[in-house]
Amino acid sequence: MTVAALPAVALGELLRSMADDEFVIGFSDSEWTGIAPLLEEDVAMSSLAQDELGHAAALYGLLGKLVAANPDALAYDRQPGEYRHCRLLDHGRGDWAMTIARRYLYDSADAVRLEALAGGTWEPLADLVGKLIREERYHRMHAGAWLERLARDGGEARARLLLALRELQHDAATVFTPLPEEAALVGAGILAMPMAELERRWRATIGPVFAELDLPMPPATRQIERGRLDHGEAFRWLWGEFTAVRRSEPGATW
Amino acid sequence: MATAAELEPWEVFRQEKDGDPMRHGGSVMAPDAELATHYARELFGRRQESVRLWVVRRRDIVDLADLDLLQPPLDRSYKKPGGYLMRDKLAAAREISGESKPKARSSREARSR
Repeated sequence: MTVAALPAVALGELLRSMADDEFVIGFSDSEWTGIAPLLEEDVAMSSLAQDELGHAAALYGLLGKLVAANPDALAYDRQPGEYRHCRLLDHGRGDWAMTIARRYLYDSADAVRLEALAGGTWEPLADLVGKLIREERYHRMHAGAWLERLARDGGEARARLLLALRELQHDAATVFTPLPEEAALVGAGILAMPMAELERRWRATIGPVFAELDLPMPPATRQIERGRLDHGEAFRWLWGEFTAVRRSEPGATW
Repeated sequence: MATAAELEPWEVFRQEKDGDPMRHGGSVMAPDAELATHYARELFGRRQESVRLWVVRRRDIVDLADLDLLQPPLDRSYKKPGGYLMRDKLAAAREISGESKPKARSSREARSR
């Protein structure tokens, strides 16, 4: 597809939402560095977090070319209200159960979204998505292994997991917030199907897992159209953290 | 279910590239094979330094460290491909016969003969 024929507005929204998702979950998870439950898990979670920041960098890179902007500026120079990550990632780091619940919900949803982009007609994105899928497979295995362990524990671990899922339930499906002008993406063959259809696929994917582990399925999202807006206090705090160095010396070369 | 108390060591072997031997890389602590594999992957593969890992529960390894079996006290040099070590035996024979060890010939002597 030629650049001129691209549905640029919708594509920009898609890239920004994906990049912000990866960026925010990467930063949230990096908060475990040094304090994870065991040394090996510390290394694993830190490495996963780095992977996500790498994915964000690649996606900001694509977006930067599309809108002629510097990827660093896209990542760091916006106000909190201008980020478009989904509300699922707006709950603060929380405890380990919260982190695993969020990771599982996000990774399983992200996988469905990536599958819907893998065969897309815009080659730069389809190529990148092919690579992301290979890396995210491990992330899903890791989150799934932990979800199962916490759920089957039956003690405090399961109780905390249930609490976390309850806190996240109304935002669980916000990865699939309809994008502005997303019909143009589907029409251009960049996105295989609308977000609402992807959410149905996601529910069909995680349904058997939740049933097997006797976990409550997340209900339908209230006001799904605002699923990437209205970021709260937890995100403002995180934004303050991840922009602190950048803001300390605007325009500096690192 | 797994708790910190049930962690146990797993030994990790890694292959750097196709055709290389598996070499011991180190160990990880984990409650089961699945997490041990994840941790092995993070500690010995996240920088693309491996193409294959073997993850083995340490207690499944048959350990032999008996020095009576591995370092027997009597001379075993005759089992080596080079056969007996002759130097000490020759020295002892010379001692008995009173001969001194022949000196190495100089290169001039060698040429004159």
